[in-house]
Amino acid sequence: MTIIISILLIVSVIVMLIAATGILRLPNALTRQHAATKAATLSVSLIVFGLMFQVIHHDWGWEWLARLGILLLVLLITLPLAAHALGRSAVVEVTSKAHKSS
Amino acid sequence: MSLQMIIAVLLGISSLAGIYRLVIGPSLTDRVIGLDLLFAIAIAYCLIAAWISERTVYLDVAIGIALTGFVATLAWSHFIQMQSRHQSGGSS
Repeated sequence: MTIIISILLIVSVIVMLIAATGILRLPNALTRQHAATKAATLSVSLIVFGLMFQVIHHDWGWEWLARLGILLLVLLITLPLAAHALGRSAVVEVTSKAHKSS
Repeated sequence: MSLQMIIAVLLGISSLAGIYRLVIGPSLTDRVIGLDLLFAIAIAYCLIAAWISERTVYLDVAIGIALTGFVATLAWSHFIQMQSRHQSGGSS
């Protein structure tokens, strides 16, 4: 069980570092949004799953599981919506600049 | 040095990229993307703190940060869209 928890944590940190690299290296705002939001969602969800395994393994009680379930639900609902809004604002900003320069 | 400490250090390294994009980002959307990444890293830090200290209070803080970050990102993106449409409508 400890090995599973360690693998989940290490994979989540690697995904977060990939998101950081993408947010530094990619050329424009739309691709940066694509790199940052999805990878960050996956990384935080993996940490939540690792903490769930830890709670079940050490039998810390139902308060942990209830709060972690609410947190996972909130994350999986709100982070894709924020990603959609960011992509839309990136497209609108670029097209308005193109209209203004032409 | 436990695994949680190593993960906290690596999350700090990846938050430097978010801070860079928040300060230097060429467009307004880039700054909001950096802010969104920093919110995600803050949620991860709250989870790691709850894990190390074995208290459930930090999970409530994580839920609050998630909701606040969602509302902040939506408000900034709506502001950017309104500003861009106003500018392009005014120039044409």
